Amino acid sequence: MTQENDKRIFPRTFPDVCVRCATCMAACPVSRVTPRFPGPKQAGPGAQRFRSAAEASVDDWIELCTSCRLCDTVCPAGVPISDLNLAAKAKFLDERGRTLRDWFLVRSDLFGELASRYAGKVNRLLENRVFRRLLDALFGIDRRRDLPAYETPTFREWFGARPATEDGRPRIGYFHGCFTNTNETDVGKAAVALLEAHGFSVVVPPQRCCGIPRLGVGDLRGAREMGKRNIGLLLPTVREGTDIVFTSTSCGLMLRHEYGRLLELPGAGEIAERLFDLCDFLLGLHREGKAAARFRPLPMKAAYFAPCHLRPLGIGLPALELLRLVPDLDVRLVETECCGLAGLYGFRKEKYDIAEEIGRDLAAEIARMKPELVLTECEGCRMQLRRLTGLTVLHPVQLLRNVLEDHGDFPRAEELPIPQLDLQPPGTHPLQ
Amino acid sequence: MKRWDLIVVGMGLAGLTAARTAAGMGAKVLIIGRGMGSVALFGNSVDVLGEVKPGTDMAESIGAWIAARPEHPYARTGWKVIAAALDEFRALFPPPYSFETAGAGNSLVPTGAGTLRPTYLLPATMAAGAAMTREETLIVGLRGFKDFQGDTVSLHLGCRGTAVSLPRYGLEGLTAQGIARLMDEESFRDGLGEAIRGQMAGERFIGLPAVLGLKDPAGALKGLEALTGARVFEIPMLPPSIPGVRIFHRFREDLIARGATFLMGNPATGVSIKDGRCEGIAVHNPPLKTEYRADQYILAAGRFLGGGLQADMERIAEPLFDLPVFQPGERGEWFGERFFQPEAHPIHSAGIVTDADLRPVDERGKVVLANVRAAGTILAHHQAVEEKAREGIAIATGYLAAKRALTQ
Repeated sequence: MTQENDKRIFPRTFPDVCVRCATCMAACPVSRVTPRFPGPKQAGPGAQRFRSAAEASVDDWIELCTSCRLCDTVCPAGVPISDLNLAAKAKFLDERGRTLRDWFLVRSDLFGELASRYAGKVNRLLENRVFRRLLDALFGIDRRRDLPAYETPTFREWFGARPATEDGRPRIGYFHGCFTNTNETDVGKAAVALLEAHGFSVVVPPQRCCGIPRLGVGDLRGAREMGKRNIGLLLPTVREGTDIVFTSTSCGLMLRHEYGRLLELPGAGEIAERLFDLCDFLLGLHREGKAAARFRPLPMKAAYFAPCHLRPLGIGLPALELLRLVPDLDVRLVETECCGLAGLYGFRKEKYDIAEEIGRDLAAEIARMKPELVLTECEGCRMQLRRLTGLTVLHPVQLLRNVLEDHGDFPRAEELPIPQLDLQPPGTHPLQ
Repeated sequence: MKRWDLIVVGMGLAGLTAARTAAGMGAKVLIIGRGMGSVALFGNSVDVLGEVKPGTDMAESIGAWIAARPEHPYARTGWKVIAAALDEFRALFPPPYSFETAGAGNSLVPTGAGTLRPTYLLPATMAAGAAMTREETLIVGLRGFKDFQGDTVSLHLGCRGTAVSLPRYGLEGLTAQGIARLMDEESFRDGLGEAIRGQMAGERFIGLPAVLGLKDPAGALKGLEALTGARVFEIPMLPPSIPGVRIFHRFREDLIARGATFLMGNPATGVSIKDGRCEGIAVHNPPLKTEYRADQYILAAGRFLGGGLQADMERIAEPLFDLPVFQPGERGEWFGERFFQPEAHPIHSAGIVTDADLRPVDERGKVVLANVRAAGTILAHHQAVEEKAREGIAIATGYLAAKRALTQ
């Protein structure tokens, strides 16, 4: 006997499920730091009651929503708050038009591989003060924000150059995402090492940008386009019965849930059934006693930060649980939500101060914890955490790879760099 | 297929207490909440039973009250379990931010409506509210902060009232969360303390909206008291409640540290039942549905606001397990004459009827599901709000349900 009751029975634009209890106001990182954003209750269902498709949008603050989705996870009534915000943002930007900067930023997947090929030159340019001033003045990309460096070769090139490992071991697919491919290839290498140590043969199916940056600028059509392409590229892998894992929680959320739930793309459910967060996947193996790999002791004090987009995945904190399997590793959860960067949000000049103010809470909490190392699954959070704390910040799989009992050619745990904690004192409030 | 010792449905105070009790006994616990529990909305102090007059010993007085109400959830727990459960709750909050009684019984503390209400355990930031006198108290509102009307509070309490600006110009219009976050910073609360000191005329008590910080409320209290030379207290106000958020975060922190799995944001939408036992609970996170399995289950999904109970034009239903629900007559009999009446509306007594073990029973008293228990406000035959017993019922039944589930 199975009984069903689903909280999402209403159409997504229906605001009256909201009883205005204000729980979401306790979770929103943006309204926490600035009165310029009215908060999820008002921006979502509150304003929705006054919106009309026939009238021009007046929601000039709607762009301040970071799409972190924390409001959705705390709402006791199941109001699709972030969906309402997204629809309002899409309408506002469709009418007002998107900037050249945003057109460019959400398509970084198109030039990432090229940038990787000329990484040396590109990185020098990205660090060049004159160039940064130009980007700031002409395009509104804040010059105080570090731009991520590109790496040569890309993850895909590295993977493609390895000898084939078709040896009868169970196959597993890996969705690396753009950032791992061109900017942080070690995350991908660590994922491959961990999966191989657990007895799998890794395949890397062809893939495109998941499309979540386009959602950030309310470009639903563009996001749907990316989704369709990825579903087409990934379906052959899942149809042959191969599971796919991801290491980026934002790409993972997009692929596993938003393709189906939000964008309603055909084939999305079929992919989602076989798509797993890598840490969740490995934790499952360890829990069931099926894990082939063991971890060596690592006497270190680490802080684990749960990215916003991990939460709507609804899998708990698998990386934290997996890290607890490392003997002698003292790993604790950072009890603060949202790093503030929110993907491309914090790169935009007009949002820089908000991103930094949100991040200040996280920096203060980590300063209280005094860890030697910070771990988190999201590439955006890692960038922000490095800046905020000056500490080494890794993806959990990078640490786990380093403590594998049989670690092959990978660096040993002792080789992890551990710089000193160096925190900026809080200045005057930047949002006045 | 994942397996836990206990799955708790609901993240209010009852569900959190059940999960924490079980995790404390070494059980592998999964807690599922469709959202953040109602403790973040209404949680402030811990009510046990408002009827017990201040100055009277709770332990001595509550027995007779319970004895006269054999169907009340407290009749399942008795004072002994209530007291043990409250001790467990208090153990979660070591000093300086601890929960204490004023004497052996209730104390009267000011509310955001300017009334006095009886409550049992007070957090350190509200303790001075129980000792205030109207002549010696200054109520301080914050300019531009809409959720606390200092004028109304001071008028009704008969105290002097004032309003101060937030120390940093341009922050007016911030939410409770926004102000609480800044209160964690010494420089900000020092600025506020200075502003308050400038308004004082020899008062010995200062009442402020309950926004004294999220991470370090005791530090904020100490700082403000040092600057003003007066005893400072927080006054509960409109949701969301900062003191309630502190309670939620403390439970979550403790549960995760004890290895519990915390799933917030998606509803439990289905159950598998076989041979009078629950075998699994499905959580729907579109497009996926995941089944979680455990030996024991506790339903602490609250009443109507949290979706633990649903009413249509004819009947009240429990939507997850379809448990039998006690309801007071037909719909016409559910409500009293006036919305704001002192007596409870009959519908407030609706809920799940259980055996002594908190297992739901049908009309004939037969246990419905051998490994499912109910806890918190979803239980029938209480008027938690009017009785001022809300937290007491949640904590005591959550604790008992977990103890019984694991020692079966």
